[in-house]
Amino acid sequence: MSAATTETLDAKRNPMWSSGYGHDAIATKTLGFWLYMLSDAMMFTALFVAYTVLGHTFNAAGGPWATAVAHPGTAFKETVWLFSSVLAYGFAMIALKKGSRSGVMLGIAAALVIALGFLAVDAHEVMTLFRMGATPERSGFLSAFFTLVFYHGLHVVVGIAWMLVMLVQVAAAGLTEKVVYRLLNLRLFWHFQAVMWVFMFTFLYLRGAIV
Amino acid sequence: MTHTTDNAWQHPEVQLAGGGYVVAYVVGLALMGLALWLVRGHVGSPLDLGIAMAAIAAVAAIVQCVLLLHMNISETQIWHTVALVLFIPLFILALGLSSWMFHGLYRRTMMMTVPHAAAAPTQAAKTGG
Repeated sequence: MSAATTETLDAKRNPMWSSGYGHDAIATKTLGFWLYMLSDAMMFTALFVAYTVLGHTFNAAGGPWATAVAHPGTAFKETVWLFSSVLAYGFAMIALKKGSRSGVMLGIAAALVIALGFLAVDAHEVMTLFRMGATPERSGFLSAFFTLVFYHGLHVVVGIAWMLVMLVQVAAAGLTEKVVYRLLNLRLFWHFQAVMWVFMFTFLYLRGAIV
Repeated sequence: MTHTTDNAWQHPEVQLAGGGYVVAYVVGLALMGLALWLVRGHVGSPLDLGIAMAAIAAVAAIVQCVLLLHMNISETQIWHTVALVLFIPLFILALGLSSWMFHGLYRRTMMMTVPHAAAAPTQAAKTGG
């Protein structure tokens, strides 16, 4: 690349690239992260496809079927935990809107603790299934079922780790541009989990009770 | 842009936050509760229940996309919304075409003496616990 081209593409030197239509440094990063979240949604799609096509009693291989492993009541408890955590993170974002550093930290800390509650219910449920002999290797159907459960659980673990990191960064650096775009990306990530959970709850747990 | 490290929190995307989060929470829980109640009460046939559940899930997902993820056509959010809307056909095609393929596969290759839904409860009762 020539020096002239480099200069034209440099956002700092050429205001044409750095202003207008909201595509500033923060907006560019959140859009990029949102596209990543949609590719993650494609991963969920692939796993839901696997679960759907293996959703025939034949694939239970004589082992536990959906009606035995999907517990809608427990799943609704998890719904309350997860949605509450998402709401708490929402309160952190409302505090960020006012530039309140302590409000942001309080909201994230609450979201983090509530997310741990979700994980506890999730882990207890999985252990209960394991004890009754419903393990991932038992059948193709259970492999697909547990892959979805674990893939979703992994997201919650990652969200919790990210919240810990942001608590440290907000405390240490304050609400700088870098911290703000990371908080926005974490909002996209965490609030997206609520949407994914709607599908988990409906097609994994509720549907399991009626097939 | 005008952002400095002092006022980054005044960015338009931060200012999107608001009371919609509480509405999304209440509506989300109410819809999931409704779906749970329908399934628990076995209101209708499995097919009817499946359609009702899918419809409730779709409404809940749309409400959350609008209120939590701020999907709208404002200058700030338009490309987030376009990306999501273009994702939807990929989702439907992946799920729909795969289901269609396997439906044909099962029908042609396996000894199916009973329809899909009818086999499930007895199978679970025998081996589930």
